[in-house]
Amino acid sequence: MECSDALRVQAYFDGEADPATVPEIERHIESCAACTALREEMAALRSAIREQVSYHRADAALRGRLIQALDRESEGASGWRGLISRGSFRAGQFWSGAASGAVLTACAAAFAFFLILTPQSNPLVGEVMDAHLRSLMSDHLIDVASSDHHTVKPWFAGHADVSPPVADFPREGYRLTGGRADYLDGQRAAVVVYRHGAHIINVFAWAYHGETLPRITTRNGYHIVFWRSGNLIFCAVSDTALDELLGLTRLLEAMSVPDSRE
Amino acid sequence: MDEKRRRFEALALPHLDAATNLARWLARSSADADDIVQEAMLRAFRGFDTFRGSDAKPWLLAIVRNCFLSAASRTRRNAHMPLPDDDGSPQDAALVSGVPNPEQATIGADQSRKLDRVIAALPLEFREVLILRELEDLSYRDISIVTGAPLGTVMSRLSRARALAKEKWLTDVEGVRHGMQ
Repeated sequence: MECSDALRVQAYFDGEADPATVPEIERHIESCAACTALREEMAALRSAIREQVSYHRADAALRGRLIQALDRESEGASGWRGLISRGSFRAGQFWSGAASGAVLTACAAAFAFFLILTPQSNPLVGEVMDAHLRSLMSDHLIDVASSDHHTVKPWFAGHADVSPPVADFPREGYRLTGGRADYLDGQRAAVVVYRHGAHIINVFAWAYHGETLPRITTRNGYHIVFWRSGNLIFCAVSDTALDELLGLTRLLEAMSVPDSRE
Repeated sequence: MDEKRRRFEALALPHLDAATNLARWLARSSADADDIVQEAMLRAFRGFDTFRGSDAKPWLLAIVRNCFLSAASRTRRNAHMPLPDDDGSPQDAALVSGVPNPEQATIGADQSRKLDRVIAALPLEFREVLILRELEDLSYRDISIVTGAPLGTVMSRLSRARALAKEKWLTDVEGVRHGMQ
């Protein structure tokens, strides 16, 4: 039997009751069997929904389509992704924007080091993509398995042409998993492998030879982020959401300029 | 630099998952939902100059809902609206195909699908308030902004939605659980 106070009890349960009336509602619930049951049912349903019901997130394909549509929409304006696709770069406007755009500043800062080309025009993007897919398909994901950067970093000394910074980010959810060497751009690139949730993130590093690369691009649902630090080019590839991938690249970009043995 | 694009990416784009989730639960088909989300985000971007305030979530979700309603009325004119079946047909499979949690045992996955079906089978006006309240954690006022319904209507619909969901859930899910013991 439903009590005439059911809606007030619901508002209380949802945290929407007027604070002044809360003690009165609590007293009522204690004395009313129907409202006690109602509160328990609402709580049971809520936890069942939050635990069991599907939450549908935007996948990489939808994000990619959306970014492209927004790029087309803001054609003519100098949006930062628009810059990538059009290959133009106006430094003054860029810096004024970067200064006021707190969220994008970190992504945009590394931009200044790059000459921008159409993403598809660089064969290195394809090379990196292939290397990422190979690492997922074969069992050649990791040559040295360790979550300890003191183990992974020295390993590169004997096996790759460069030695990028290596770190574990447990607090941020990016776990160092290991390292491997891949042949890329005519050299032995160092690859640091991270795990983020169920996703693998490969971070490639190789010596910079003046190549022009996109800042962010997407291939087959995989996001690819390039940046340069010192004389190394870095490239992070994953099927995780772009925001999450940028979370790792920001952490890595914030680390000091790496030493490299050229 | 494109100020509008930057504001949009900072204020509206973080709610893309919420927009997708709402669209999926309204449209009950992932292909339709993706089209709705893209259309809604573009409309939101075009109209972003008119957005005032700091929380773009209810504003954006209201646009998603409007896009769904116009898409649904277009579909109705051309053909019939797809409805989920109760017997786990392919249509239903698409509805709950989200991301299966590998850690869930078979029974857990089964219950999850059942509860998905229970919610999906609710009439639109009840389904949307339940999703907005329980999955998106919106306040009554924000639900009122999204749905265009007055606060009192939001409260009574939410109450009815919970009663309907509980009733169906108890018969479907609990029945299964007891049957398996």
